[in-house]
Amino acid sequence: MKCRKCKALAAVALPSHNTAFCPDCYPDFVRSQVERAVHRHKMIAPGDRVLVAVSGGKDSLALTLLLHELGHDVHGLHVDLDIPGSSTDARAACEGFFAKLGLPLTVVELRREGLAIPLVKSRIKRPICSVCGKLKRHYFNKFALENGYSVLATGHNLDDEVSRLFANTIRWDASYLSDQGPVLPAADGFARKIKPMYRLTEFEIANFSFLRGIDHVIAGCPYSGRASFPVYKGLWSGLEERMHGAKVQFYENFLRDGRPVFAAWAEHREDPLSPCTVCGYPTSAAVCGVCRIKTMVAAASDTPNT
Amino acid sequence: MIQVRLEPQGREIRLPKACTALKLLRELGLGINSALVIRDGELLTPDRRLNIGDEIVVRTVTSRG
Ligand code: SF4
Ligand SMILES: [Zn+2]
Ligand SMILES: [Zn+2]
Repeated sequence: MKCRKCKALAAVALPSHNTAFCPDCYPDFVRSQVERAVHRHKMIAPGDRVLVAVSGGKDSLALTLLLHELGHDVHGLHVDLDIPGSSTDARAACEGFFAKLGLPLTVVELRREGLAIPLVKSRIKRPICSVCGKLKRHYFNKFALENGYSVLATGHNLDDEVSRLFANTIRWDASYLSDQGPVLPAADGFARKIKPMYRLTEFEIANFSFLRGIDHVIAGCPYSGRASFPVYKGLWSGLEERMHGAKVQFYENFLRDGRPVFAAWAEHREDPLSPCTVCGYPTSAAVCGVCRIKTMVAAASDTPNT
Repeated sequence: MIQVRLEPQGREIRLPKACTALKLLRELGLGINSALVIRDGELLTPDRRLNIGDEIVVRTVTSRG
C-alpha cells in the first residue's frame, strides 16, 4: 500500500477514508481533521484559554499535542483518582508529557477532597464509573470556572461518541440526545465544552500516538470491566468493517437531523440552575451532586460495621 | 516461527509460517481497525507480509475508561 500524498510505503491504512498514509504524512492528516473540527464548529475563538482534561491515556495526550501544535493556549488538568495499580502511572504519564512539551499542568487529588475512588466505591452503592465520571466533570468545571478558562477540551473520539449516542438511543434518553455533540456552549457559568477529536477513531489516534512517540498509559483502570461501552464499541467496529463510514454517518446525521428535534423538545422542560447551597457550584438541585456524594461518604464512615 | 506479543494483555503466541498482517489479525479474532501491528518499531498495514523470524507486537487500541 502506498501513501496517498507522497507515494512512499504506507504505515497506516484507513478503509473508512479509502486511503493510506506514510509515517511522515499521517500526522498531518490527523492534525487537519482536528483543525477542521475546531473551525467548522467554532470550538476555539482567538484569545480563548483552553483547559484540556488529561487522563494519561493516548486520546487526551494526543489532543494536548495537537491543540498545542495548532497554536492554541493550552493548560492541562489531571484528576488523580487514587486508584491502586493505575492512578500513579496515569499521573506520571501526564506529568512527563507536559514537562517534555513545556506546558502547564495542574493535578487535583481526590484524596485531598476525601473522595479517593476506592473509598467512594466502598461507601456508595452506585456504579463506580458513573460516580467517578461525575467527580471528574465537577473538578474540571470547577477549575475552569475559578481560573478563567473559557473552553474545556476533552479527548473523546468518534468511537466514544458513537457508543454514547448508541447507548442513549437504545434507551431513547431524550434529555441526553438533546445536547450530545462536539460542542456544548457556555451556559450558567460553565465553560464551553469541546471535543476536537470527535471525527477521529480510536484506531486513528492510536496510530498518531505511536508515530509521534507519545508515552501514554496502556493498562486500563481495574474497575473498567463493568462499563457497557466496550460492548457497543465491539458491535460498532464489526459494523464499520462491513460498512465503511457507518460510524461517521450515524453520528454526523444525528447532529444534523436528530439532535435539533430533541433540543427543541428539551427547551420546554429545563430545570434552571442555581448555586449549590454548600459549595456554590451551579446545580439544578439545592445541593450539588458532588456535595451529596461527600455527605454520603462521610455518613458511611460514621456508621459502625460498614 | 513468527513471535507475536499481544498488548496490553502481555500474552505471547507463535505462528508456524509466513502470512500477512491481515491474516494474523484474523487469526487473533481482531478487526483491521482494532489493533496496531508493529515490527521493529514500524507500523504495518494489513497487506504487509510477516516472515519467519519476525518479532511482532499487536497492540489493541480500545482506550481505558
Ligand atoms: S473506569 Fe470507571 S472508575 Fe475507572 S477511571 Fe474510568 S470512570 Fe473512573
Ligand atoms: Zn507520505
Ligand atoms: Zn456543592
